[in-house]
Amino acid sequence: MEAPRAPLLELPPAVPAEAGAKHELDVTIVVPVETGDAEVGEVVAALGGELEREGRSWECILVFDGVRGAAWQRAQELSRQHGAKVRTIAFKGTFGESTCLSAALERARGRTIITSPQYVQVDPVELGPMLAAIDAGADMATPWRRPRVDPVLNRLQSACFNWVIRQMIRGDFHDLNCYLRAIRREVLEGVSVYGDMYRFLPVIAHRHGYDVVEVPVRHLKEWGTAGFYGLGVYVRRFLDVLGVMFLTKFTLKPLRFFGSVGALFSFMGLFILTWLAWQRIFLGSGLYNRPVLLLGVMLFILGVQVIGFGLVGEIIIYSQARNLREYRIERIYE
Amino acid sequence: MGPAPRISVVVPIYNEEESLPVLYREVQETLDGRGWSWELIFVDDRSSDDSRAVVLALRERDPRVKLVCFRRNFGQTAALSAGFELARGEIVVTMDGDLQNDPADIPGLVAKIDEGWDIAAGWRKDRRDAYLLRRVPSWLANRLVAAVTGTRVHDTGCTLKAFRRQVVKNLPIYAEQHRFLPAMSRSSGARVGEVVVHHRPRRFGRSKYGLERAVRVLLDLLAIQMISRFSHRPLHYFGLFSLPFAAASLLFLFMGTVNWRTFEMVDEWPQFVVFVFVLFLLLAFYYVLLGLLSELAVTASGMHRRRVLDRILSELH
Repeated sequence: MEAPRAPLLELPPAVPAEAGAKHELDVTIVVPVETGDAEVGEVVAALGGELEREGRSWECILVFDGVRGAAWQRAQELSRQHGAKVRTIAFKGTFGESTCLSAALERARGRTIITSPQYVQVDPVELGPMLAAIDAGADMATPWRRPRVDPVLNRLQSACFNWVIRQMIRGDFHDLNCYLRAIRREVLEGVSVYGDMYRFLPVIAHRHGYDVVEVPVRHLKEWGTAGFYGLGVYVRRFLDVLGVMFLTKFTLKPLRFFGSVGALFSFMGLFILTWLAWQRIFLGSGLYNRPVLLLGVMLFILGVQVIGFGLVGEIIIYSQARNLREYRIERIYE
Repeated sequence: MGPAPRISVVVPIYNEEESLPVLYREVQETLDGRGWSWELIFVDDRSSDDSRAVVLALRERDPRVKLVCFRRNFGQTAALSAGFELARGEIVVTMDGDLQNDPADIPGLVAKIDEGWDIAAGWRKDRRDAYLLRRVPSWLANRLVAAVTGTRVHDTGCTLKAFRRQVVKNLPIYAEQHRFLPAMSRSSGARVGEVVVHHRPRRFGRSKYGLERAVRVLLDLLAIQMISRFSHRPLHYFGLFSLPFAAASLLFLFMGTVNWRTFEMVDEWPQFVVFVFVLFLLLAFYYVLLGLLSELAVTASGMHRRRVLDRILSELH
């Protein structure tokens, strides 16, 4: 049974929502607001209007991630206008989209959560197919903007990013950078989202065994400027990918990751040292003028250190073993 | 749900639709023949064939057949651990779904548990597999596991095993650890016995193992060695690990700075000798520090206070 497999870490199932909380609505729209000029009015009108047309009950939670500005005023107006249908959560500091989503989830009354960027990025009509996919049994519908309308350079960068992700993580995702997603509530309650993992939500849900489908959508517009980002953005994106790969593949077996890397270094080091020893013993060439000796020793030591990390990782995982459950049950016939 | 049965048979399945009816009939004949109460738990590791429908058809006829369905393929250890969670029997038997294990061996394993052993491990003394691809690597792996963990089990790869209920209920396994269950539970004080079992050639389907696992198995083994022997005192493990490095550094220093003929220290220590000495010494220190870090992890988890299995087993015997 060596087929696709990825150990993964899972905390014990989240405490079920208190008896009082009911999920009586069809959809909760969650919009993390990150700049003061966010087009919250347009988003609520577009998505809410589409849901009305579909005949689904909805509410919208606007989460202000440490910003106010014009969007805040607009949100207050919307609240007055729609009553409890449009609510706001305001953070004092900036905590990122994952935290916005968790905060909104605690207060959401919808059975399906729709996350949306802070402007109308995708044709709202596409909510229809996405929600239809959820109705058909999928746990999450993630968009694939096709064709895209932003500048070629951005598209190219995005395509590269998604290609790298596909190579590193099993799972066929073409567009992780579009956040108009429809997610069944249980998914978010079962998968802990934190840090910069918001972007990788489809990947993580997929690793947890949830059924994630990609829905092609019509791209309307894109915020932000064309061109290259700062160097820091690329570094952070790379680290994100590394982190997700590590967490999805090696969480339960850290030694497999660190051990392989460490073994590679130590073997290189050992190879150099053996070669030197052979020359020293049989050819009589002294070690004192061989800088490569240091290289060999350093490589060997680096390798052994990395293996040490893996061992500590194993200890940490084992000490938490009672809280781990690496599988997801779909159904039990008892 | 009736009273708890005496025997729970846990069978992880992955694309075994042809074998399942035969397996069910053999288990049923063997266990009913003894007059034991039993349940048969299939754990479907997201088969792509009709295994699931086949099990549900069996279940229609016999409610003692149970089924757990995974959301996707999670591997054999996960399947076993899900089966263990559901099992209610006093004795839990695990076996493969491919008919290579013979259910007729179950009474022998159960008898071993009744003798007072906590785990009865099957030993396929006469294997019916390809010699070079399956038996040689398996022999090597078993010798290695025995040497590393100090648990002499001839055949760790054999899924056919019987466990006293307390063992499977209190020993969490994850990430392909099922092969090392005897080693891991022995370190908690479990008594591991062996029973020679039959091994039949494959009738249906194809083998789901390959040969490309050597590095992974070695690394897993290193982890198991540490966990099974030192999980309560990781500092001891890391401390022992650091010794060879400390020794190497001192040896290098000695050889580089002492004149071989006169046994006097040379006046000027060669620079590279000092470098290498320091580097290896640092590594030794580093390992001690890692050991302390591990102690921290173990203490913070509260694991050292629990040791549930040890306690239960010591009360049992």
